[in-house]
Amino acid sequence: MLIQNLGPLASSLFSLLAIVSLLLAFVMLGSRWLKNYLFAFAAESWAIAALSAAVGFYGGYPELYLIAILTLLFRGLLLPYLIWRIIRRLSVDREIHVILQPSTSLVVGAFFVMFALAISYRVAAAFHLELTVAVLALTVLLSMKMIGFLMLAVRHEAISQILGLLVLENGIFLGSQILVPGMPLLIEMVILFDLLIVVACFGALVGYLLTHVGSTSSLDLRRLVG
Amino acid sequence: MTIAACLLALSIAPLAAIILCSIVRNPRACEAFNLIAAAIAFAAALPLPFLIGGRELTFWDDYVLLDRTGAWVILCTGTVYFLASIYAIGYMRLLREESRLYVFYALFAGFGLTTLIGPLMNSIGIYWIAIELTTLVSTFLVAFEHVAESMEAAWKYIMVVSAGISLALLGTILFYWGGSFVLGPTYKMTWAVLASAAPQINPILMTLAFLLVLVGYGTKVGLAPMHTWLPDAHSEAPAPVSAMLSGALLNTAMVGIVRFLAITRRTSIGELPQLVLVIFGTVSLLIGALFIVRQQGIKRLMAYSSVEHMGVVALGFGFGGPLGIAGALYHMLNHSLNKSLMFFGAGNVMRAYGTKDIDRIQGVGRHFATQGSLWLAGAIAITGAPPFGLFLSEFTIMRAGLTPTFSWAVYVMAVLLIVIFIGFMNHFRVMYYQCEATDAPVAARSSAWCTVPMWLALAPLLVLGLWWPGGIWNYLTAAAQTLSPGAP
Amino acid sequence: MRDILLQIAQVLTVLILAPLLQGIILQFEERVQRAQGPGIFQPYRDLWKLFHKQVAVPETATWLFWVTPIVAFTCVLTVPILIPVLTDFPLPLSDMGDILGGGLILTLASFMIILAGLDTSSAYSGIGSSRAVMVAILAEPTLILVFVGITLLAKAMLPFVVNHLLVADWAAYMSPAHLFLVAAFFILLLVETDRMPIHSSTHIEVYMIEEGRILEYSGPLLALLKWASAMKQFILYTIFCNVLILPWGLSIRGTALGALGAAIGLLIKFTLVACVVVFVETAQSRLRFYRYQEPLAASFLLAVLAIVGTQLS
Repeated sequence: MLIQNLGPLASSLFSLLAIVSLLLAFVMLGSRWLKNYLFAFAAESWAIAALSAAVGFYGGYPELYLIAILTLLFRGLLLPYLIWRIIRRLSVDREIHVILQPSTSLVVGAFFVMFALAISYRVAAAFHLELTVAVLALTVLLSMKMIGFLMLAVRHEAISQILGLLVLENGIFLGSQILVPGMPLLIEMVILFDLLIVVACFGALVGYLLTHVGSTSSLDLRRLVG
Repeated sequence: MTIAACLLALSIAPLAAIILCSIVRNPRACEAFNLIAAAIAFAAALPLPFLIGGRELTFWDDYVLLDRTGAWVILCTGTVYFLASIYAIGYMRLLREESRLYVFYALFAGFGLTTLIGPLMNSIGIYWIAIELTTLVSTFLVAFEHVAESMEAAWKYIMVVSAGISLALLGTILFYWGGSFVLGPTYKMTWAVLASAAPQINPILMTLAFLLVLVGYGTKVGLAPMHTWLPDAHSEAPAPVSAMLSGALLNTAMVGIVRFLAITRRTSIGELPQLVLVIFGTVSLLIGALFIVRQQGIKRLMAYSSVEHMGVVALGFGFGGPLGIAGALYHMLNHSLNKSLMFFGAGNVMRAYGTKDIDRIQGVGRHFATQGSLWLAGAIAITGAPPFGLFLSEFTIMRAGLTPTFSWAVYVMAVLLIVIFIGFMNHFRVMYYQCEATDAPVAARSSAWCTVPMWLALAPLLVLGLWWPGGIWNYLTAAAQTLSPGAP
Repeated sequence: MRDILLQIAQVLTVLILAPLLQGIILQFEERVQRAQGPGIFQPYRDLWKLFHKQVAVPETATWLFWVTPIVAFTCVLTVPILIPVLTDFPLPLSDMGDILGGGLILTLASFMIILAGLDTSSAYSGIGSSRAVMVAILAEPTLILVFVGITLLAKAMLPFVVNHLLVADWAAYMSPAHLFLVAAFFILLLVETDRMPIHSSTHIEVYMIEEGRILEYSGPLLALLKWASAMKQFILYTIFCNVLILPWGLSIRGTALGALGAAIGLLIKFTLVACVVVFVETAQSRLRFYRYQEPLAASFLLAVLAIVGTQLS
């Protein structure tokens, strides 16, 4: 089992990359400018690609190098490029936060991290893995998930919601690289491509929203009630 | 016909329809392609429960699985796909979108394809991908009428459901992780392998993973409180798409929950997964009941009825045992038929009266004799009254629930079903028997294409309600055996 | 005996060098903005002038007015006993309080000054006090969390242990927990010493926070308060440098030469940090009052992440 046999250097490298990704997720949570969200997301994808390569190196999974390169290209370059094209079509540069201020979101996110730590500790304790990087992997996985949901809930711009969804997926991907590096290659690659299709669909839908509703903010999508 | 040939026909026919519709853009030709594909798919799906006998079969290097539950759900899906394709021909002609009709039929065939092959997927990861694909395809179907409300519905749909099934992905990965402690870091992610490793996986991880999968796929099924996308998507989509969404898609997602539940039953978690499923079912019933009573839109009424019925199915699977699971599976088939009937009727009425408000639809019985009576019969059926099939399945589920742990749920379910009956029938009373204030303009009668599917949906419903053949009962009980190993 | 002398030397260092640090920071700021600047010894001249002025006491002031400068001054004189200023090893009386205790004593000083602002019933002092409390509400929990993080990092409450750990173990120095703690404490440093983006030491009445509290003071009392605030800044810088980011350069054996070298090293380290602080300050403008929560929320977050980081390695 990879986690149980990691040396201290590998362990701290994984920890560093995972925590950097989490920090970038918080940067996304606290920023107002859509371009900042995007750059933080791209940087986070690169960190996760580096993590993939590191797991492949230390665990002896050569196929993970391929996954790392594909992650870098697709999640790190192609997805941000597609989203950047969508942003360029819109007339919004920044998001006015109506539901929750960025600082409050940061504090709420910090509480999520503490909650995730509590859960991961309990789960890892059941497997006697408390002192390994599994706790960190689970914590970052669960907290990035909750931060993604927080972004979906409190942001009203379509782009921010898309990026929240992508942060969710990033979190799952990061966790799966550390916890289950041996997952069949086919699944990982199909999930990667699936994400691409999802973003393409989002692009088309945002175009429709612009044309027929007039704005991409969900504050204007209030026609269907009851 | 062998099973492999059936499965191939099932997959290739809609795929061919997609390709042909994209190339040949003539609307009439596309209608024909879709209808033929649906007919082939139905013909291939119909014999599957009979042919499968007592076995679980895997094909194509363990990537395709056919078991009793899957065959049953594919039968439901194939039926709805066929009926909806017939109805779509008549309905979509009324929309006057001839230039974009090929897009609709290509997407419709794609929707049919992805929902048909969902239950066949043996690998839990690829099953997730199939569900994700159904979401993507159906979003564009929901957004087909390019109106602001449809866009809003499509946006809500894709956002909520994508977020929800990402939770299911997390649960899947946690299941895989649990399995990797027993089976090593790399193994085939099939249902059977996971089930065999299940007794040795730690219960805490199993509980966490199952809860995530339940909430995740529960979003797709429409269990409350994750149902928020459902009324919007089902009401804003064109009527044939609504029928497919309600009748086919919800069942396909339910299969995932049920299979994961079967896996957790092999460990020593106890009753927690079933209890949570029962709670979700009860809450869905409650939300459905409350919103049905106060509803104002005709298609949203049907959508909340879907929430309610999925709650009943969840209750059936949660109660467990041969009665519960058999009742739930039977309910799936009855609900698919009935909901298609209701959506077809609603679509006809919407086009005829030009509105979605219940208050402005009046005198349906006078203007439309046959369609009106079919629709009224469907309404009586969907609220669970005899002599239709839904009565039998709900009754079976209630009988299954009368165990000491779950009897509270049965009482709540009974009360809520009565509330739903009263609320639903009240709306239909308004539409059929209330005196007309003004003479509302009524369009010409809709074509036979729209009436025939309603007959085709009602007839089996009546038959299944009056006649409970032993063969079906044996089949469902055997399916229940595989889904709840070791249950009394 | 030598230790007691070193202890006294520590307190004297803080006492004497604090205005120098203040002068350096102000001079750097002025030079960066291409002005002449008053020279780095200006705070000494200010203190000298204030000690020779007359005290004017408002009629509405009570005993609190007189007591506060003395209490504040005493508190900030007490804290250098507890933290590593000149030496690497704990001196006698330095286990009188640990990191948390030091923080609490500093807070006591702030608290007394806030009360004194309310004591005189002057409008501007009252506003200054209420705003200072608001900033404190946002900053204190973060400060406590940072201290908790430091404690968890070294698994001990004494700052000396942390110092030894960071000097000895390069991995601990580079660990994410430590780096996040540095970042969190840096933001708190900016807030507590009234640098931008908080900058509460302005003399424009509408924005006054720090200046507002001590508006009614004059003469030697004002001198004491100003000296106390300069010493508080010095102490925070000491904690930042000697405990967290630049833990080298402290006297290991406690000789006189070592102590002198440590003092000079202190000044060099502080100059470096002051450069960074001035750079950060000139690079941004003042935040609106209601946006003070943003840097503090970021600091809170970093402290939480640091605590999470200590749990995982």
